[in-house]
Amino acid sequence: MTAVDPAADPEPAADHRMAAAASVKNSILGDFLPITIVAGLLGLIPLKFMDSRSMMTVLISGMLFAAYGIAFNIIFGSTGQLFLCVGALAGIGGFSSAIMADRLSVPWVLSILLAGIIASLVGGLLSWIAVTRSLDTIFIGIVTLAFSLSFENFVLGKGDLTGGEDGLRVAASKGSIMREQVKPYYVFLALVVVYLIFYRLLQRSHIGWAFKALKDDEVAAELAGVDVTKYRVYAGLIGSGMLGIAGAMFAHQGRGFIGSTTYAFGAVDVRVLVMLAFGGIGSLLGPILGAIVFTVLDELLDSQAQLREVFYGIVTVFLFLAFRRGAIPSLSSLLKKKPSSRSR
Amino acid sequence: MTAVIMDGIVLGLQFGILGVGLTLVYGLGGVLNLAHGQMAVAGAMVISRLTDGGMGTFLAVAIGIVAVGLLGMVIDLTLMKAVYGEEGEGRTLLGLLLMLGVGFIIDGVLEWRYPIEALTLRVAGDPIDILGVSMRRGSLVASAIILLVGALLVAFFRLTTFGRATRSVIQDENGARLVGVNPSVVRTSIFALSGILGGIVAVTRAMTTPVGSTDGIELTIFALIVAVVGGLGSVSGAFLAGILLGIVSTVSAFYIGSYITTIILLVVCAVTIVIRPSGLLGVRS
Repeated sequence: MTAVDPAADPEPAADHRMAAAASVKNSILGDFLPITIVAGLLGLIPLKFMDSRSMMTVLISGMLFAAYGIAFNIIFGSTGQLFLCVGALAGIGGFSSAIMADRLSVPWVLSILLAGIIASLVGGLLSWIAVTRSLDTIFIGIVTLAFSLSFENFVLGKGDLTGGEDGLRVAASKGSIMREQVKPYYVFLALVVVYLIFYRLLQRSHIGWAFKALKDDEVAAELAGVDVTKYRVYAGLIGSGMLGIAGAMFAHQGRGFIGSTTYAFGAVDVRVLVMLAFGGIGSLLGPILGAIVFTVLDELLDSQAQLREVFYGIVTVFLFLAFRRGAIPSLSSLLKKKPSSRSR
Repeated sequence: MTAVIMDGIVLGLQFGILGVGLTLVYGLGGVLNLAHGQMAVAGAMVISRLTDGGMGTFLAVAIGIVAVGLLGMVIDLTLMKAVYGEEGEGRTLLGLLLMLGVGFIIDGVLEWRYPIEALTLRVAGDPIDILGVSMRRGSLVASAIILLVGALLVAFFRLTTFGRATRSVIQDENGARLVGVNPSVVRTSIFALSGILGGIVAVTRAMTTPVGSTDGIELTIFALIVAVVGGLGSVSGAFLAGILLGIVSTVSAFYIGSYITTIILLVVCAVTIVIRPSGLLGVRS
């Protein structure tokens, strides 16, 4: 292992180090303040909608997608691995947690963690294959897409395990807070906040430095001693584990039902991509902004369900053409009056 | 067994021409057209609407195929301009995401306007015996059309100046520009040609099975699998992979089951990328 950990670099000039430490301390507030504010605001939303079961379902799904977005951001935003299997990894979490809890009588809370580990290993394996075979973006995209579609067919075909087209009813979590109307929202909000804090801490750790280095210039990072393979696989393991946990938690909430389309490519991956394209790939709060905006839009489009797909298509095309870096980064660079560094 | 394999070849030829449409556009401009199947289905819907309106089948088919070609040309001249302005990975990624969006738009519009429409083209006549297997006329006519189109494509790429120019752009875009080939003209024409091939897929498929308004995504996925296994950018590879996968597909559907068959095809695709990313006949760049 030849990884360099810049924070633990043995001999930087002492005063530089002091200055760096001071600026890190000053920025802790700046780093975590946005998360606190966002958490507070999101915590207020149910006050207006708590009487409506359907609105709460929509809001919970909004938080679920925010969690997916943060996890995908670690894999794609941080290390450029185009994982088109967000839904499949979440679904591996969801179905394995449901099966472990109901069939093997594993306590359901524990089953969520175990499901996270399973998803993490699967995602890490995909990542490891991609890195060791040095697949470029498009091939990682195709392999993971093939994986997603295989998973969908597996769910449909292996009906005795997954319920097939009828879906699966999860029994283990009955009577817990996950089955109530409002509380699951706060559970998912807590998950999102934990993910955001984790994302920030990750960015500030040596792993985050390595991510940044290999994203900016892979060859230079490799020459500087960053073990590209290792950090890509880390991103795959971490992000997939987060997807698995979020997907598993979803299996136990509300009516405790997961269907063959709950984790389908068309239902999850496309939405996550559009959300992130809107919010900004690689930004901290981008997934949250994207999730909120698209939850509202989905609700508005509810009466026109057939048009939703058209709408998503138009938004995808428009967003990737217009703001290739997402709304938050584009806006913040406008505010800072920096010229956009978009390359043509 | 012979009958299953013969069906596999019929299906495989359709797979092949489906893959060719995808592979050409990727080979030329690095755009993975994730709307290829949806474009083909859009053509099928045009034909279906026209024949329902009382137009003769041949004229409707011709208009439908040309319509998909025009759609391809329009996409290339508008959305893809931004894509071709990028280089390397950025170009691949933007092209892929934009075409994914276009695929959703086409699919959504078709599902919204024509939710239960399907195109079936009946070829009249009794079944014909081949190697002791009684083959439907529709399957034979469809296969003959595809073989003819395949031969025309090969002739086009080997014998005409424009075909050679196309191959030069596939091999080396900058080199082609240096010897006076205009890559953007070639790309636009080939995107249109890919659309026309998509239209032909819709027509030939409609001779064997109904082409429904929501079949686009499935066709895109088959096109992707075939193009990858054949080697992205390789026309003959796509045909070879199409026929092989067609046989694998019918044999496995007959003996094992349809869900497993799709999984088998997808796994073949993933394994090809991992073991030999250049595919059966592709050249490693």
